[in-house]
Amino acid sequence: MQKLREFKLPNFFNYPPYFTLQPVRDTREKQIQLWKELIIDYCKTQKIFVIGIEDEFPLFTNTVIERSLTHEAREAFLSALVSEGRAEWMDKGRRKCLIFWHRIQDWADILLQFAKDNGLEDGVVTIEEIRFGTESQGTELQGIDRTILNRALKLLEQKGKLVVFKGTSTDDEGIKFSV
Amino acid sequence: MRRRPGIGGLQTAAAARDQYRLLGENVAKIRTDMMKEQLSTFRSQLEDFARKHKNDIRKNPAFRSQFHEMCAKVGVDPLASNKGFWAELLGIGDFYYELGVQIVDICLATRPLNGGLINLQELCNLLRQRRKSDRGVVSEDDCLRAISKLKVLGSGFEVISVGKKKLVRSVPTELNKDHNEILELAQGQGFVTVDQVERRLSWTSGRAIDALDTLLDDGLAMIDDGHKDGKRRYWFPCVSPISSLTGTDSL
Repeated sequence: MQKLREFKLPNFFNYPPYFTLQPVRDTREKQIQLWKELIIDYCKTQKIFVIGIEDEFPLFTNTVIERSLTHEAREAFLSALVSEGRAEWMDKGRRKCLIFWHRIQDWADILLQFAKDNGLEDGVVTIEEIRFGTESQGTELQGIDRTILNRALKLLEQKGKLVVFKGTSTDDEGIKFSV
Repeated sequence: MRRRPGIGGLQTAAAARDQYRLLGENVAKIRTDMMKEQLSTFRSQLEDFARKHKNDIRKNPAFRSQFHEMCAKVGVDPLASNKGFWAELLGIGDFYYELGVQIVDICLATRPLNGGLINLQELCNLLRQRRKSDRGVVSEDDCLRAISKLKVLGSGFEVISVGKKKLVRSVPTELNKDHNEILELAQGQGFVTVDQVERRLSWTSGRAIDALDTLLDDGLAMIDDGHKDGKRRYWFPCVSPISSLTGTDSL
């Protein structure tokens, strides 16, 4: 649990019944809504892209009130995000979940903005540079999950805004913008 | 009157009748004039008072409540109409209508969380948070007054007493005696278990489960299966407001 101190938790996180999946539909819907928002908010501020359902994810347990989400509840909340297009199961067994705290479309827009900000409208950049280069430092692209980046790139490629070309190894895979 | 014959007699009688009528009218006029004068004095005094203490009435909830009491004693309801000198002078009608609207808003917004039953105290807190930029303070008395005005709308806003606490109901669900007793019991810890209800209220288990299920279905209760002892707890957001919880603020 590193550098998480600045995250402000909502009040419901301290109310025990929110850790049990509610049987009554209306109550459950509200519960799921609150958890969805919390998960997205948290992942966004902490730059988390993948949640393992059995992992010791800080949101899944509140040690102060001694409550922990059941597997069923975790799956229900993440599934709700998946059905909204805010997340995606990474395996059939639903053990890992990829969180889109920006939708793919928004990631694509961020990439285009990145290209504009760095005068790359017609330029070439490697994937490594986007993820860890000096240009992306301090931007949301820094450390972006590879799968999510690929999705956004594919979307832009379909729109003809860039071309992805393979290098000799995965490390020097690059893209050429044509914005 | 002794009856006198002839035209002269009739004329005298008619003249006397006229005079009586005139006198009667005079007396009545004097009376109404006096009443009018008294009323206008009273009104101007009340206006003077209200004008003089305008700021106190607006800003000080305790003073406002006393002012209402005084008005009630003399049979004046400053909230009866939004027109008239009270509204013009104090904007006091507006104040309560505004509160009413905000109360409806808060009740609707928190309904999914508490099933439409909210602690008066919590309602006031939320109201204050919402109006924090606004001048003046809002007391529970003000809330109650605003809610009593909402009743006119027939929208089912009602204040009910459960134990020592006052709860504001914004849904038409009727709470029966069993439900009330459970809510009262829950005020201690914020939750109850089936065992507790049976023991403390000396009910059969069927009765307890039945009542708890109804409260659950109405969205007034939430279950909690996470405690170590394995006993299901029924929590009631309306008696232990989520906004006043203490626990971790950050991870």
